[in-house]
Amino acid sequence: MDNKLFLEPEEIVEKAKAIRKRIIQMNSNAGQGHTGADLSETDILASFFFRILKIDNDYLKNPRRDRFILSKGHGVGGFYCTLAEAGLIEESLLDTYLQFDSRLPGHPVRQKMHYLELNTGALGHGLAVAVGLALSAKLSGKNFRVFVLTGDGELQEGSNWEAAMSAAHFKLDNLVAVVDRNTLQLADRTEKIMALEPLEKKWQAFGFDVHQTDGNNVAKFIYTIESLDMKNKKPHVIIARTIKGKGVSFIEDQPAWHHKIPVGDQIPRAIQELE
Amino acid sequence: MTKQEKIDLRTVMVQTFMDAVEDDVNLVVVVSDSTSTSKIAPFMEKYPERLINVGIAEQNLVGIATGLSLGGYIAVTANAACFLVARANEQIKNDVCYSNSNVKLVGLNAGVSYGALASTHHAIDDISIMRGLGNIQILAPSDPIETNQIFRYAFDYEGPVYIRMDNAKFPVLHDENYQFKVGRVDVLKLGDDVSIFAVGSVVHEAYDAATALQSESVDAEVLNVSSVRPVDRMQIIESIRKTHKVITVEEHTLHGGLGSLIAEIVAEEGLRAKLVRLGITEGQFSKAGPRDQIRAYYNIDVKGIVETTKKIIAK
Repeated sequence: MDNKLFLEPEEIVEKAKAIRKRIIQMNSNAGQGHTGADLSETDILASFFFRILKIDNDYLKNPRRDRFILSKGHGVGGFYCTLAEAGLIEESLLDTYLQFDSRLPGHPVRQKMHYLELNTGALGHGLAVAVGLALSAKLSGKNFRVFVLTGDGELQEGSNWEAAMSAAHFKLDNLVAVVDRNTLQLADRTEKIMALEPLEKKWQAFGFDVHQTDGNNVAKFIYTIESLDMKNKKPHVIIARTIKGKGVSFIEDQPAWHHKIPVGDQIPRAIQELE
Repeated sequence: MTKQEKIDLRTVMVQTFMDAVEDDVNLVVVVSDSTSTSKIAPFMEKYPERLINVGIAEQNLVGIATGLSLGGYIAVTANAACFLVARANEQIKNDVCYSNSNVKLVGLNAGVSYGALASTHHAIDDISIMRGLGNIQILAPSDPIETNQIFRYAFDYEGPVYIRMDNAKFPVLHDENYQFKVGRVDVLKLGDDVSIFAVGSVVHEAYDAATALQSESVDAEVLNVSSVRPVDRMQIIESIRKTHKVITVEEHTLHGGLGSLIAEIVAEEGLRAKLVRLGITEGQFSKAGPRDQIRAYYNIDVKGIVETTKKIIAK
């Protein structure tokens, strides 16, 4: 890529559509995958990789690059498809998803795939590591930003709140946590399993600069990120309201689709809905 | 330092931190309210910006250290081994080991250093837990000279390292020319009658036992396994092939620690040897109380090692 990836929101919406089709295709081929999570986070990932991170040829070599941590490691399928759509990995690699010793296993492995900062998959790890990265920027006088995408069910892990407490204590205004708030977790609705609400107040009580937005609306999401006051001495959190399985009617908001893939005529139906 | 002077190994550790920063090593130390546990005050005074205290939050300790390492720092965590390996186990596994981060984990006051504070504070499974993880190097210094060298080595090496530390004071066992080499078994005393392998602070017990045995005409070889992983198996094999009698000494459970390591080698190599493993009895929590009495109970003190050796020699 010669120029940095910096598209307008309407162009990113088109990219997100293409990423979703790749997700359906890739997961169907693999015979496994976290389809609901992949589709939930697509607009957020597209916003990061086609604009917010300003990825260019030197990105990976640049110690001052903005960092992105995928704390919800089970959403790595959406991540791979985003990289493929952005031309950052070979499209053919997607055919190896979940195969034996593939570069594309079901949770992120940074030694196998660039653009991954951390091997996640166990929940509640990304935020603390993001705090450490943000601290490293402050300590070394670098001005990069650290973004971390967490699931919402993931916030039931207590480690997140240790990390949240420290992010505020260290005044890490270079840290942005994005919560993919699709209100579903593995077994059922978050509010039924272990209620997270009032989520906004929880983050506020922990000292965060809290924002809510539509996480499936690229323009709104980007606007929220780009409007953050990164010098306010407070870490930021964006509660991005999303629909799990977004874009495919029979997948949307269905707990059963956490770890399910389209089969048979569901595949063309899903693709058609995503046109 | 004189040969007899006893030194807190943590003081030596902190000096290596100061020396490293002085030498432009990009080092940060992360503690979890463990400033006194780590004796870090001199470092904190001199380099306050390089000391990060995350509060009583071990998962956060290891996660933040990982983030600091990803940002280009050599991140050293320093807190009590019992809380580090148990509470932050998954962070150690995934953030440090699996992600292959440049984090140095220091398990302070390991074994039964905390004596009477009992099993919540004892770390008798840290070596076995670390051995169960894929790629972390496991080191345990025995004296001030080795402590200095092991920390210097760990800063130079890029990747995860666990360093097991004690809270007591120890005299030097090595001369000034000693060179720690990762993987090498440090032979403190050559002998033909029995091979005594020990790790960490009980190396002193093993060494003193060998000295006592010498006056009873038993010639014990003392091997300090300060590098548990990696470890040079050939050195271990050669010693056992020579003596055919083996005692392992560790202030650690007999599950998965030094005794297990040596037993694996004996079995896999088909070595003809009588092996006695001394340590915390299998399937039990460690006894609590004065440390010397705990060591006596498990025969991991001089007297216990001497008596065990005599029994094994008599057979």
